[in-house]
Amino acid sequence: MNDFGMSDDDLEQMYQEVILEASKNPHGRASFAPDMALEESSGPSGAQSTVRASHEYCSPGESHQFNPTCGDEVTVHVEVSETEPRTIERLVWDGHGCSISQASLSIMTDLVAGRSVDDAMTLEESFHKLMESRGAGLDDESEADSLGDAMVFQGASKYPMRIKCALLGWAGLKDSIAKALVA
Amino acid sequence: MVDCKAIRGEFPILDQKIHGKPLVYLDSGATAQKPQAVIEAESDFYQTINAGVHRGAHELAARSTMAFEEARASMARLVGAGYEEGREELVVTAGATASLNLLATAFGNASLGSGGKAAQAFALHEGDEIVISKAEHHSVLLPFQELAARTRARLKWFDLTQDGRIRSDMADEVITERTRIVAITHISNVTGAITDLAPIITRAHQVGAIFILDACQSVPHIPVDFHTLDVDFAAWSAHKMYGPTGVGFLYGRRELLEALPPASFGGSMVELAWMDQPAQYMEPPARFEAGTQPVAQVVAAGVAADWMRQLGMEQIASHERALTAELLKVGDIDGVRIVGPTDSEQRIGTVAFDLQGVHPHDVGQFLDSRGIAIRVGHHCAQPVHRHFGIYASNRASSGVYNTVEDAQAFIEAVSEVRPFFLG
Repeated sequence: MNDFGMSDDDLEQMYQEVILEASKNPHGRASFAPDMALEESSGPSGAQSTVRASHEYCSPGESHQFNPTCGDEVTVHVEVSETEPRTIERLVWDGHGCSISQASLSIMTDLVAGRSVDDAMTLEESFHKLMESRGAGLDDESEADSLGDAMVFQGASKYPMRIKCALLGWAGLKDSIAKALVA
Repeated sequence: MVDCKAIRGEFPILDQKIHGKPLVYLDSGATAQKPQAVIEAESDFYQTINAGVHRGAHELAARSTMAFEEARASMARLVGAGYEEGREELVVTAGATASLNLLATAFGNASLGSGGKAAQAFALHEGDEIVISKAEHHSVLLPFQELAARTRARLKWFDLTQDGRIRSDMADEVITERTRIVAITHISNVTGAITDLAPIITRAHQVGAIFILDACQSVPHIPVDFHTLDVDFAAWSAHKMYGPTGVGFLYGRRELLEALPPASFGGSMVELAWMDQPAQYMEPPARFEAGTQPVAQVVAAGVAADWMRQLGMEQIASHERALTAELLKVGDIDGVRIVGPTDSEQRIGTVAFDLQGVHPHDVGQFLDSRGIAIRVGHHCAQPVHRHFGIYASNRASSGVYNTVEDAQAFIEAVSEVRPFFLG
C-alpha cells in the first residue's frame, strides 16, 4: 500500500534546511495585495492590488492563486519587457502559506527573475514534471540541474497533499506571464 | 466509566502503526472510526437480505424494508424523535449537508407556492430574515445564503464572543418579528463550544420562526433529545457517530414534516402520478426519500446508534470530558493559541489551535510523522477563522476510543513542532 505520510527521516528529507531557510526569509515577497481569505467581506475593493508597474517599457501581468483546502494564497506580479527576447524584468509576489509554498515561491523567484519568458516556461514545465514524479525526481540530469535549488521539492512530490503547495507560485507565474504577453 | 481499552478492541483500524508509530486518531470531528459491529452490519446485509425497500412483494424485500425501518427507529430512539409508523420524524438523507440542502430547497419551493396553504409556514418573502451565526459550517451558511438570495430574504447572523461562543445573549436583538428561519449549530466543529440554545430557541418561537439545529457535532458526543430541546428541524451525519459514510438524517417535528413540500422528486415518494396533473405525494418520511436509498448503510447506521445507546451517551460524554481537559493542555505550549474556549465547561473534545509561526499544513505533516492524525485547514468554516484573525487552524477532535495517552502523545508532538520549524 502507498505510504503517503512520512517517517522522521522522510520528514527531514522533505523539510530540508534550504526549504526551512527560504520559508523564513523568502525572496521576492512584497506587500501589495489584499488577503482575500481574511477579508471580512468580499466586494469591489476586495481584490485591488496596489503594486505599480515600475518599468515604463514593460507589460505588467498579475495572477491571484488560491488553495481552497488551506486558504493559502499568492498574487504573483511580473513585468515583461516589450522587446525581444521577452524578459521577466521584475517579479514580486505577496501572499501567505505553509513552508513548502513560501519556499517554493522564494526559490522560483531566484530562478526566473531576469530570465527570458521562454526559459521561465521551460523551467515551469520541468518543475511540474518534478512535482508529478511521486518522489522519483527527473531522469534527465541537465533538466534536474537547470532547476537548481528547486530540486529540494523532490521530497515533497511524494505527498499528494503537498504538491499543490509547491506548485501554487508557479501557477501564478505562468498565468501572470500569459497576461503580460497579451497586455 | 466506559472501558476504553475494551472499546478500542472493537475498532480494528486503530490497531495499526503509521510510519512505524502507533496510530493516534484525533480526527473524529471529520469522521469517526467504525466498530466491528457496524462494519459487519453492512456486509451482513449484503450477504443475507439485500433487496429494494418499500417495493416488491418477495421475502427479501420485506426483510430489507423491516431492517431499514428498524434502523430509522434505532436512530430516532438515540435522539428523542418519533418512530412509530405514521409518526416518524426522521428522514434518511445522504448526509447532514444533504439534510440542510433539502430543507433550504423545500423552503424555496414553499416560497414559490408549492405545498399549498400548509406549506406557507415555510414561505419566505422579500424583507424576511434568515438568522444564522458566524460559527456555522459552510453547509449551514451556504444553503441558507442561497435561499436568502433566491427569495430576497435577508441573511443575518449572531456574532461570537472573543473565545468563539455564539452570543446567545443577543437573541432578542438579532431575531426580530421579520425572522422566519433560525439555523444554528449545536456545537461548533472548530471551537468545540456547546451553544447556549435555550435563549435562541425561545426567542425564535416567540416570533414564530422555525428553528433548525446543526447537530453534527453534538449527536456523537453528548446526550441529545430533540423534543426536550424543542427544535423544529435538525441535521446530522451517521459517519461522525461511528456509522457509515453516505448517510445522514433530517429530524422534523411531525406536523412540520407533514406540511413541508418535497425537495427531490422521483420514485417511491409519490402516491399517484399523472401525465397531465400534479402528483400526489406520499406522507413523510417517504415524501423526502425519492430514489433508491443506501439501505445497507442505513441499517449499519442504526447499529451504530444502538451501539452508542448501549454504551450510554452520559458515559460517552463523561469519558470525552476527561479527554477534553487533557487536550486543552496543548494551550500551555509556547506559541499555542486555542481557537475556542480554553476551559472545559460547555465544550467537547474538539480542540482547534493556532501555532504561532507555523502553518497548519506543516503542523499536520509533522504530527503525521509521529503517527498522529489531526485535521488542518479551515474545517469548512471560514468565517469563524476570520473571527480569530487566521486562515486555518489545527484541530484535534476526540472520539470515545481515545485515551489519555493519545492526548499526551499529541501534546508531546505539538511541543516539538516550533523547535523543528523555527529552530
